[in-house]
Amino acid sequence: MEEELDSNFKTVGNIRTEKSVIMNVEDCNVYYGDVHALKNVNMEIGKSEVLALIGPSGCGKSTFIRCLNRLNDTIDIARVTGKISLDGKDIYSDYINTSGNMDVVLLRARVGMVFQKPNPFPKSIFENVAYGPKIHGLCKDKNDLNNLVESCLVKVGLWDEVKDRLEDSGTSLSGGQQQRLCIARAIAVQPEVILMDEPCSALDPIATERIEDLISELKQNYALVVVTHSMQQASRISQRAAYFHMGNLVEVDSSNKIFNDPSHPLTTNYISGRIG
Amino acid sequence: MMIIIALSFLLITFLNFRAGRSKALKIRENTSIHSLPEYYGYYTAFWFLIPVTLIGISWLLFSESLITSFVLSNLQKEIVNFNEIQTLNFINDFKNLSEGRNITGEISLLLKEAASLYSYFSTVSNTLLIFACLSIGLFGFYISINKVSSVFQARNAIERYINYFFLASTCIAILATAGILFSVVFEAIRFFGVVDLDDFLFGLKWSPQMAIREDQVGSSGAFGAIPLFVGTILISIIALLVAVPVGLMNAIYLSEYSPSNVRAYAKPMLEILAGIPTVVYGFFAAITVAPFLRGFGEFVGLSISSESALGVGLVMGIMIIPLVSSLSDDVISAVPQSMRDGSLGLGATKSETIKKVILPAALPGIVGGVLLAASRAIGETMIVVMAAGLSAKLTVNPLDAVTTVTVQIVTLLVGDQEFDSPKTLAAFALGLTLFVFTLVLNYYALRIVKKYREQYE
Repeated sequence: MEEELDSNFKTVGNIRTEKSVIMNVEDCNVYYGDVHALKNVNMEIGKSEVLALIGPSGCGKSTFIRCLNRLNDTIDIARVTGKISLDGKDIYSDYINTSGNMDVVLLRARVGMVFQKPNPFPKSIFENVAYGPKIHGLCKDKNDLNNLVESCLVKVGLWDEVKDRLEDSGTSLSGGQQQRLCIARAIAVQPEVILMDEPCSALDPIATERIEDLISELKQNYALVVVTHSMQQASRISQRAAYFHMGNLVEVDSSNKIFNDPSHPLTTNYISGRIG
Repeated sequence: MMIIIALSFLLITFLNFRAGRSKALKIRENTSIHSLPEYYGYYTAFWFLIPVTLIGISWLLFSESLITSFVLSNLQKEIVNFNEIQTLNFINDFKNLSEGRNITGEISLLLKEAASLYSYFSTVSNTLLIFACLSIGLFGFYISINKVSSVFQARNAIERYINYFFLASTCIAILATAGILFSVVFEAIRFFGVVDLDDFLFGLKWSPQMAIREDQVGSSGAFGAIPLFVGTILISIIALLVAVPVGLMNAIYLSEYSPSNVRAYAKPMLEILAGIPTVVYGFFAAITVAPFLRGFGEFVGLSISSESALGVGLVMGIMIIPLVSSLSDDVISAVPQSMRDGSLGLGATKSETIKKVILPAALPGIVGGVLLAASRAIGETMIVVMAAGLSAKLTVNPLDAVTTVTVQIVTLLVGDQEFDSPKTLAAFALGLTLFVFTLVLNYYALRIVKKYREQYE
């Protein structure tokens, strides 16, 4: 099962979304030095839907998600080819042309990210949420900022728990609260897409359930791309699912199809628990 | 002679190791044994070597004064009318004579007798020592080799001894600190018997020259240390003003911005800077920087002293750049990558991330590094001795010559000095003050670091 697919393998299933397209990935390849980590990925990401990325460890899910907000730029040896566009604009255009129409700072404001391990800044809870709006100048005055912070914390269901201690350090919260704080921090800059890299893998089952509920609420307003190791979780939260294997996007389709009647044998094996 | 004895004791230790190990090996032929055979070897060797070392060291510590008192008590009748100083001289002379060194003055019969007595007692003492060591060491070996059996847990015993070993090393460090502290404190107490504590700590005039004879004029001695403290702090502040910004920014560049090949060259270069002896910085300050500053001052119409605090502070600042830089580099690199990812992922630029996330998170370590650099600057001696002034002028003008606590300590103690005049004792009082000052600085440094750590963790 560990053999590589041949180089002109084409993704099975349906790479198109039924919703309106927000991001489009064409022929995306990633190399870390000599390692070809992501191979010829083509896929659409639609508004108001949760796309789950599944697959065994090291299959390229995280690499893929980090292409979508160019966080791979921070890795010296990483090289990304192909075309990824947000609202039809190439997000890597300043690779070729420095005066391109999309700069990386703006891109990351529109494509937010939540990480595997909750990583609140060592600042107060308030400052954690206010961080993004402050650097992007989203709020006219202090009052405006207070309202924004409150509404973000309300959206993630954290407001009632922390409203009396907004000045406490973000790191003083429990793991699940920290992760919700990180989500609040991400939505405070009003992104259009939120990337989540195994957002629940460091959390206990109750905190996990709260994050899953939150994901389902957030999809009304945002496009979500969620990497997960849990098939149950993927089937609970997602409308579409993509299966990665050794750098290849093997199959992408509606979650219903992927989890009940996958087309590719590799997907079948993974879903039925024979690998991974 | 001593070397041969020491080597033979080491040889015996090795033989004991072999004996313990071979006994264990023999036991292992028939039955299983708790530990590896080497451990039994270490165990028996240990029980020989440690008693021998302990007895040897304590014997050598006390034997000399014991032998001297034996000699003196044997010659009691002849030296009964010696005063204290004569006795001390006498002891020095016969020791030197017995060891074959030249002595001044004529060699009297009494001195010869004392010398031969001294060497006789020394030989007896050394022979006794060797026998005592051997018998006690072999007794230890006898006890320990009898303990070697299939159930004896030599591995655990060795582990316990290693624990004591480390404990002993720690104790040596702590005892040395205490010893240094006490030696300074006692001398300082003698000083404060002559000079008032208030006059010393708050006096504005420093002029340690004292009249040696009654009829000398002028110099009555003034021990107000404020000018020295002000000078020290002035130079240290200038040094920190140079070192902290430069060191911090270069740490940020090296850890966040520099490509790995630049870092590979820049970091060792900085370490070279850290390895330059302070005496070299000293003449850099005195020969290059000071004349340059004075010339520059003349050019722009400022009067800059050729021993200005500015020049010394600049060079001292350059000296502590590597300290600030490498400590800051360590703490900045220790900030988790997830913090950077989190901030970049929100659309912050690199410099925003550094300013708002990384530096605040690394602040405790940076503050600690700066305070360490400060105590280094305060205690720095060589540069200021070579390039700073001697006159204790109370001024905060960086273009003026000032002197520091360390410079004065050196000046007071260099050359032939009598160790009971207030002038010399003042050096110890200054040393004590410096010590207390650095201690307080370190205490507050740790307090600040702890406070930030609670806030950020």
